[in-house]
Amino acid sequence: MDFFVGGVARGLRLLASLDPEVYGIAWLSLRVSLSAVILAALAAVPLGLLIGQNEFPGKRLLVVVFNTLLALPTVVVGLVIYGLLSHRGPLGGLELLYTPAAMILAQAVLAFPLITALVLAAVTTLDSRVAHTALTLGATRAQAAWAVLAEARFAVLAALAAGFGRVITEVGAAIMVGGNIRHYTRTFTTAIALETSKGDFAQGMALGIFLLVLALAVNLATHHLQMRWR
Amino acid sequence: MPEPLFSLRGVVKRFQGQEALNIARLDFAAGQITAVEGPNGAGKTTLLQILALLLAPDQGRLLYGGQELPHAGAQLTARRREITLVAQQAYLFDASVQRNVAYGLRLRGMRREERAQRAAAALAQVGLAGFGPRRARRLSGGEMQRVALARALALKPRVLLLDEPFANLDTESAAVFERVIAGLPAEGCTVILVSHAREQARRLAQRVVVLENGRLAA
Repeated sequence: MDFFVGGVARGLRLLASLDPEVYGIAWLSLRVSLSAVILAALAAVPLGLLIGQNEFPGKRLLVVVFNTLLALPTVVVGLVIYGLLSHRGPLGGLELLYTPAAMILAQAVLAFPLITALVLAAVTTLDSRVAHTALTLGATRAQAAWAVLAEARFAVLAALAAGFGRVITEVGAAIMVGGNIRHYTRTFTTAIALETSKGDFAQGMALGIFLLVLALAVNLATHHLQMRWR
Repeated sequence: MPEPLFSLRGVVKRFQGQEALNIARLDFAAGQITAVEGPNGAGKTTLLQILALLLAPDQGRLLYGGQELPHAGAQLTARRREITLVAQQAYLFDASVQRNVAYGLRLRGMRREERAQRAAAALAQVGLAGFGPRRARRLSGGEMQRVALARALALKPRVLLLDEPFANLDTESAAVFERVIAGLPAEGCTVILVSHAREQARRLAQRVVVLENGRLAA
């Protein structure tokens, strides 16, 4: 018990001391995961909207595929991206392996099906009159689609927050394509895994607490936006 | 009959193989109020959706101002912006009354001050002056329908389509609708309304068209 409590206490002291290494890791984690969510959302939000608002053959199958992809193991994504980016892989020439860019790519692939599935569910359950109403008031098809997104804004924001939660907490893909390089590709989760395996429980705990505080801050920001839009 | 604004020629619409509408010839005069009557399933709403350019007929021609309507693209949007529809249970966006009423004006790129003026005038027209800042979804059913009417009026449409405008309205709201609709032809607006409320519809309309099983009744 002393080991645990002592670890937590040292972790809190480390946080309070503004240790540059811990804050560097925090900044990189935030930058990688936010970039990944933005990248994924650029494709996932329009796709979820398109699937949710239209009827076409094979739609049910597509929905099942996206729901299945929610269970995509992070190590499998890591493996595939590793295969693509490694020197012998088709995208090896880009020399992205073991860079933050590779981590953003892997995390975006992870967030993509989750955001798509949640946006799809949100626009499917939305009142079907939204797009029609916008059209009768003179909207173009694109403006009508925007109106649908605006009406589903709470759920879309929740989808983005869920995507962020998925990627900032994952460790498998980040370690495989990032390589956990100090001051370069070391994020919260890869650092916690490393420190704990090295036996430095306090450092791991400090990072763990920081990660929770960061997740809380992002969720508070999301909640604040939802309240303002009410 | 004055110059027709809308003309249907051999218009047929089917849903899953079932014929919902089949109109050989029908003209709607400019600046007139026309009431469309008929039992449930007669094709009234389908007709309104075709006139609102939300639904394309499977067959036949739709003429507007004597010209064939474009099927898609910017020209169709331009035409659609002269026509608007107030649905039986209108959908109000989850926003303020002001934002709802000004929505169509914003789509047309109108400046903020002008939008505010137009929206305020439209709200006053339906007896809801000062309702702008309220949440649209918190209003009563009758008030919500009046906001939907104001949202259409703010656009100063050439054609106003109304689907069952008197259904589920309180007496005050029904009176507002009747007064506003009656004044529209004087402003050059063509009104086509579908209604079960025969008395009100006939009091307002210069012409009554009856649909039965998707066809014009003799």
